[in-house]
Amino acid sequence: MEFSYEVRDSYAEVKADGRLNMVSAPKLREFVTDVIAGGSNRIVVNLEKTAFMDSSGLGALIGCLKAARQAGGDLRIAAVQPQVKMVLQLTSMDKVLTAYPSADEAFSND
Amino acid sequence: MTDVLASRSFRGPAAEDAVESVHNDLDSLWLDVPFVQDMDQMTFTTAVIESVSNIIQHAEPAGDEPVELGVDITVQPALLQARVSAFHAQPPFGPMEPAVPGEDSESGRGLALIEALVTTVTFERQESTNTWVLSRTSSQG
Repeated sequence: MEFSYEVRDSYAEVKADGRLNMVSAPKLREFVTDVIAGGSNRIVVNLEKTAFMDSSGLGALIGCLKAARQAGGDLRIAAVQPQVKMVLQLTSMDKVLTAYPSADEAFSND
Repeated sequence: MTDVLASRSFRGPAAEDAVESVHNDLDSLWLDVPFVQDMDQMTFTTAVIESVSNIIQHAEPAGDEPVELGVDITVQPALLQARVSAFHAQPPFGPMEPAVPGEDSESGRGLALIEALVTTVTFERQESTNTWVLSRTSSQG
């Protein structure tokens, strides 16, 4: 899995391309923690190219969400693909991790 | 007689590399059986990867030999089945009932997710091998 980020006007967009599994989950957590430490506490994780996520990956997103909130911000997810959507729904975590159609829309109403 | 249309097998150390190997095996398996619906492919793949990850993260060796992972996946006309085994392993520790973690919990959702994804999950223990058998009745026979 490959991570990248870009600081936008009101948030930082993190892209996670590949499979978000037990191997890549700790790396996502570390990556987002670094982005937050760099001064961005409003994070959008763009999952457009995340074809797969398991419960480890979900746990990492929750950890990142908590880290963003502890820093006074928030974390939102965008461009969720069918498998990721299925995992979010089956675990009822779609209520906690709100999915937006695109990264642009995630913080557009704040 | 069962009519196996396609299959994949993996055996190797229960280490992180195995997750990607098994996932690649599944991706190539679906190319052999394009009639299996996307939803069945997606749910079954997720269940198998959860199960494999569970062994890699939690299986403890029974003796001097390290735990080995074995995955045997078969596609039959109306059935997807995976036998996911931990060889040279102690019996699983603790309750095997799925937990219901709090919404801010970062772990503990794997077993419940597996149960939601497949039709049946059974557990077998023979000598020092733990085997989870995941079966999903496919949408199209």
